[in-house]
Amino acid sequence: MRRWVQRTHLAGFVALTLTACARGEHVPFRGGIAVTDDAGRRVTLAAPARRIVSLLPSFTEILFAIGAGDRVVGRTTWCDYPPEALAVPSVGDGMPPSVEAVAARRPDLVLLYRSGPNVTAAEQLERLGIRTVLVDLNRLEELGPAARRIGALTGHSRAADSLAHVMDSLASQPPAPGTQSLVFIVWDNPPIVIGAGSYLDRLAALAGARNVFHDLSSPSAQVSIETIAARDPDFVALLSDSALPPGYASRPEWRVVRAVRARRFLFLSGQLFGRPGPRAAQAIRELRRRLAGTP
Amino acid sequence: MKYVLLGAAAVTTLAAALLLGPANVPLGDLLGSPILWQLRLPRAVLAFLVGGALGVSGVGLQALVRNPLADPFLLGLSGGAGLGAVVAIALHLPGPWALPLAAFVGAVGAMALVYRLGLIGGAELDPRILLLGGVAVGAFAAAITTALVSLAEATELRNAFLWLWGGFSGASWTTVLVILVYAPLPLVVLAAAARPLDLLALGEEPAQYLGADVRRLKQLVYLSASLLTAAAVAVAGVIGFVGLIVPHVCRLLWGRLHHTLFPTAFLTGGILLAAADTLARTVVAPRELPVGIVTALLGVPLFAFLLRRWTVT
Amino acid sequence: MDRDLIVAVSDLTCRYAGAPRDALLGVSLEVRSGEFHALLGPNGSGKTTLLRAALGLVPPFAGRAEILGRAATDWSRRNLARVVGVVPQREENLFPQRVHETVLLGRYPHLSLFGGVRAADRAAVERALVACDAVDLADRWLWTLSGGEYQRVRLARALAQEPKLLVLDEPTASLDLRHEMELFELVRALVDRQGLAALMITHHVNLAARFADRVLILAEGRAVARGAPADVLTRETVERVFSWPVTIQPFDGRPQMIPLRQRKDAL
Repeated sequence: MRRWVQRTHLAGFVALTLTACARGEHVPFRGGIAVTDDAGRRVTLAAPARRIVSLLPSFTEILFAIGAGDRVVGRTTWCDYPPEALAVPSVGDGMPPSVEAVAARRPDLVLLYRSGPNVTAAEQLERLGIRTVLVDLNRLEELGPAARRIGALTGHSRAADSLAHVMDSLASQPPAPGTQSLVFIVWDNPPIVIGAGSYLDRLAALAGARNVFHDLSSPSAQVSIETIAARDPDFVALLSDSALPPGYASRPEWRVVRAVRARRFLFLSGQLFGRPGPRAAQAIRELRRRLAGTP
Repeated sequence: MKYVLLGAAAVTTLAAALLLGPANVPLGDLLGSPILWQLRLPRAVLAFLVGGALGVSGVGLQALVRNPLADPFLLGLSGGAGLGAVVAIALHLPGPWALPLAAFVGAVGAMALVYRLGLIGGAELDPRILLLGGVAVGAFAAAITTALVSLAEATELRNAFLWLWGGFSGASWTTVLVILVYAPLPLVVLAAAARPLDLLALGEEPAQYLGADVRRLKQLVYLSASLLTAAAVAVAGVIGFVGLIVPHVCRLLWGRLHHTLFPTAFLTGGILLAAADTLARTVVAPRELPVGIVTALLGVPLFAFLLRRWTVT
Repeated sequence: MDRDLIVAVSDLTCRYAGAPRDALLGVSLEVRSGEFHALLGPNGSGKTTLLRAALGLVPPFAGRAEILGRAATDWSRRNLARVVGVVPQREENLFPQRVHETVLLGRYPHLSLFGGVRAADRAAVERALVACDAVDLADRWLWTLSGGEYQRVRLARALAQEPKLLVLDEPTASLDLRHEMELFELVRALVDRQGLAALMITHHVNLAARFADRVLILAEGRAVARGAPADVLTRETVERVFSWPVTIQPFDGRPQMIPLRQRKDAL
């Protein structure tokens, strides 16, 4: 009799885990939480995390947005939104993460962006007995899954799921109609532009502007000034918190680009546009306003 | 005869650099287009001048250290330039000229340091000490650079290294002017050293017996070749292979006497680099390859082929 | 006969920094045009140092070294190269070159900074090749020459400088009998016919005795004897300097030394 009960439970559990094979789904694990992160690791917590160190500004924003801000005990120096986040102690710039500073906050969970140095830092933290989660967050599409997992890990699934829903529907929208074009210039010597496969490119599309380098599949690429001039974008977009034209704008070789000559720059705040985050919709609205000519 | 050939090749290469490019400018509009005057022409001219400078510098340094494997960047100059560039980034120095100027200062600093090492123990610029000193200074600079890299911001650093790896995307009439100001004096000094350098190939003592003031010669050649290289780095980053291969190609084709070697190396270096830059701009358009990669891809097979011929003679 | 005094070294003392003893101590030497001097002595006796000091490469610690009445260190290298032609012991050959190119290098002290090679220069090269019996070698690559031919070419290069003095540092070190004799004959002929002065460092004591007008023997930086071969090359002197028993036999009016074997019972 008992063996039959056990087998049913086992079968039921196997069925449950099998149906939940989609990446990122959380599975209640005997009352605890289990999440698969983007490094393929299965992260389990007995209870929702109470002391979280966030090593990416986007994660910090998401945590506060879903109501878990009071659980955040450590952040990077770059985490500057929302303003409440500034009250949280900083554990350094996170490049690479200072394992000691993170451990000193005594977290039960650390959220890291999945990069080479971070994988190493995560392994070191795990050796200290601290749970870590490595998440990809480069593009708009990845906001939803990231939010869902953070929600599960913090026990704020409902708020996270509704945020994820908004992000997913935003990501699945087609490019908005529009006639204007732009180029994102990240560096001038050598000229580096943003291509498709990046967050900014997507924002532009949803705001109704065409990135003239959308045909480049990589997130960023080195091109020549001549190419930029030939593609003749209407605007030059750059991440900048000031409204001063960049240094290269006055140089004769850059003035071959019509948008530079005409001083048609879009200065986009790094805090809002520089990283994927819950305020993506706000960013798109802001961009649309700028393109229409209202400052 | 050879100068006619080289001259024709130079004109052809420059014409190609002006006509080809990622922007499809119709031939009729080309002469009036700012793309020609502000972008392609200064870029082609700069590539030619930098290639020539590196070629001549390579000739001078190979004669100085009496080693055919010497490259202008072997003597620690690229390490110094890299360190200068990283310092400029780490200190957030403003302005578009911060990076090139810092690279120039770094290269010159490395040059001075290697020079000082070359004088230790009365060695008086012994070629072996110069080479070893160059490697040491280069490694030292690289170590400091690595230390600074951990402090600077990641994206800025990546972009600085992209600049350092060499390229003419920032070419403008201003950078052409910089080279035109810096290059003539070292070029003239090296040209005047042509005959003494022929003598130096026999060894330092034999050269002195044949009338060369070897001490002064070595100082002048070292300083001139290093200054040429530093100026090249300041406007175009570190472009390897040109200074190594061009002297060999010219020696094999047109002889090793320096009064021929210097001019042919200047022209050949200019042609090679201008052609490489045109390829770098057009082959994977709209993207650009770092020009140092193209020179390596062009130069190394050429070098291997010539090496076979050379070892036969 | 009143001959030009080319090299005048008087009471010369030279030191190298950090060396335990003086490289040269109180050495004197006078070489006039039309004279063939040989410089003899065991290894490390200071022969090459004397050469370098006489040619201004090593400054005197005490005493004087003069060329044509002026201190050797006061001469510019270029001007000195128009007076003294040197065939050094060693030289490098990094890149292949032809004979006529290498002989032309001897004209460099006469060429102006940016000036070209003139007809007079080519004539001097031609004369030098003729004097050294190397005209038929003119188009050959250097690396194809035999040892003897190579030395003749280097001597031609020194002659192309149109010097008053020829200096040779162990020119026959690796040559066979014939080429060695040919070289000594050649130097003698140049001294006799063209009135050049010659100063040769050599280990070949017997040939120096046969061909040279005057001999200077150095040992441990000091001049042991100076003068005509017959006066200088005595058994006592040679045995003392070279630390080996010899006997001296005359030949052709000149002393020839014959080294004796080690006695078996002396071992």
